[in-house]
Amino acid sequence: MLDLHDITVTVPDGEATLSILRGADLQVGAGEVVSVSGRSGSGKSTLLAIAGLLRRPQQGTVTLQGRDANAMSERERTRARRDLIGIIYQSAELFPSLSAIQQLELVAHISGSLDAAARERAGSLLGIVGLGDRRDNLPGKLSGGERQRVGVARALMNEPSILLADEPTASLDPDRGREIMELITAEARRRNLAAVVVTHDPAHRDLFDRAYDLAAGTLSSPSTGSASGTAPGSTGA
Amino acid sequence: MYLALRDLRATKGRFVLVGVVIGLISFLATMLAGLANGLVDDGISGLRALPITHLAFAENSHASFSRSVMTEDQLEAFDVEGVDATPVGVSFVNARPAGPDASGETIDVALFGVDGNGFLAQSSEAPDGTDVAAAIEGGLVLSDELETEVDLGEEFTIVGTDTTLPVVGFTFAGTYGHVPIAFTSLDTWREVVYGDGSQGRFSAIALSTGDPAALDSAATQTGTEVFTKSEAYAGSPGFSAESGTMSLIRGFLLVISALVVGAFFTVWTIQRTRQIGLLKALGASSGYIVRDALGQLAVVLVLSVSAGAAIAAGVGSLFGDGAPFSLTLSSVVATALVLGLVGMAGSLVALRRIISVDPAISLTSGV
Repeated sequence: MLDLHDITVTVPDGEATLSILRGADLQVGAGEVVSVSGRSGSGKSTLLAIAGLLRRPQQGTVTLQGRDANAMSERERTRARRDLIGIIYQSAELFPSLSAIQQLELVAHISGSLDAAARERAGSLLGIVGLGDRRDNLPGKLSGGERQRVGVARALMNEPSILLADEPTASLDPDRGREIMELITAEARRRNLAAVVVTHDPAHRDLFDRAYDLAAGTLSSPSTGSASGTAPGSTGA
Repeated sequence: MYLALRDLRATKGRFVLVGVVIGLISFLATMLAGLANGLVDDGISGLRALPITHLAFAENSHASFSRSVMTEDQLEAFDVEGVDATPVGVSFVNARPAGPDASGETIDVALFGVDGNGFLAQSSEAPDGTDVAAAIEGGLVLSDELETEVDLGEEFTIVGTDTTLPVVGFTFAGTYGHVPIAFTSLDTWREVVYGDGSQGRFSAIALSTGDPAALDSAATQTGTEVFTKSEAYAGSPGFSAESGTMSLIRGFLLVISALVVGAFFTVWTIQRTRQIGLLKALGASSGYIVRDALGQLAVVLVLSVSAGAAIAAGVGSLFGDGAPFSLTLSSVVATALVLGLVGMAGSLVALRRIISVDPAISLTSGV
């Protein structure tokens, strides 16, 4: 479903180049929910950007549903983001001028399919995340937990195959965070999605099929032993 | 425009601000268009109304009647197949009500002396059907805008001369050099300007022809300069300076308008860079986002430009005869359209910014 192989990402750092990812591998099948943990700056967001087709790696292959994402044009990647991928952001990233239901309707509008069925789907998604009675509230009138629920519903609105979440509980208190994480993992399994959740919070490891650690630019599964605290290394120019 | 219209509603304040600025620019531009048209009318409406195609002036007179003196020899050269030519004398005079008990005001007029046998007089007919050619012999036919101040039959003395002339009619003569036109016969005009020693002189030759090339040899032969009617507008006193000033101000307004819209739109785009990145991450194409943004701008421009233009047209109509203000629907629409297009053009810089936003900025950190 989602297959990242030998992903290398470097960024210029003054005279030198800084390696963010060095040969990272990650395979997630449909219905699997995995977590990626690591210190801040370890490249977790970069990994999500690669998986979400927001960024191209310098090296390595990204395969979505059997298609090589590196071979796609920017236009095709934009369309793949629209049709295949749902992303949940750390602080929900809602549009301030749109009500909860409109956040979801916008997704359908972008793909040119904002019809009665889409409006109905948006309403039922808000019901699923527990916001059926707050659908007309603007983000400013929602609590942090409620905003993140809207964010989850929005990520599911385009009926994606791949669900990515970037620290979805980082700005919530532990109880709200647990609820959100349970919601994400349950919905991903129910919809048979390939899901990657980036989190630095070890408290939710029980919710995932596999938990990876990102360190020194590579991914390792805890079962194979890892979780060192090495920072990403620098190579010479 | 799903997002754009809701953004517009949610952040009314900032859009109202820029809308008011654009509306004021539109108001100014429309007022200026009205004043420019009015001034042009005031300067040359009489000349424009003449049934002529060209005017021949003496050399180096720059289409100015008062600098041009011509003679019968030069007129004869224009006696060409397919060309109607007739002499005209033009000068600015003051006419004072004549008679010991006269109480009216002295009026400024542009005195046009016309040959009663020439095509100009023959082809003109006063609205009441009187023969213009006959009427102007020994009398004044005044521009009808003087009808409220002057009575038919009232006699006027041309200031500085002994010539006294009765008002024999009114016609749609318009104005020239910002004063109303008074037609009289060429002989009367000569008497006013030269007294007894006119020696057949006049100011310029009015021409009417469908074949401008036919005028060339006569012009060369006599050393005269031939202008088309609209070229000759430039010779009207103050015309070039007025229209130049107006064009300059209008040009500046358009540039200012483009810059205001461009600056606003650029700042607005920078402010919502993250939102644009998020839209891209959601799978919106640059085309979708640009359409959204342009639609939003178009709504702001249409509302503010048309409000400004409508208010200006309303204010202008209150001026009445007090100021030279003339506005047609087409010039209002043209001004508004140009402002709108210039505003859209001003936003192009910001559009480049939209296209270059990186969708990856929607994620937590750049790394």
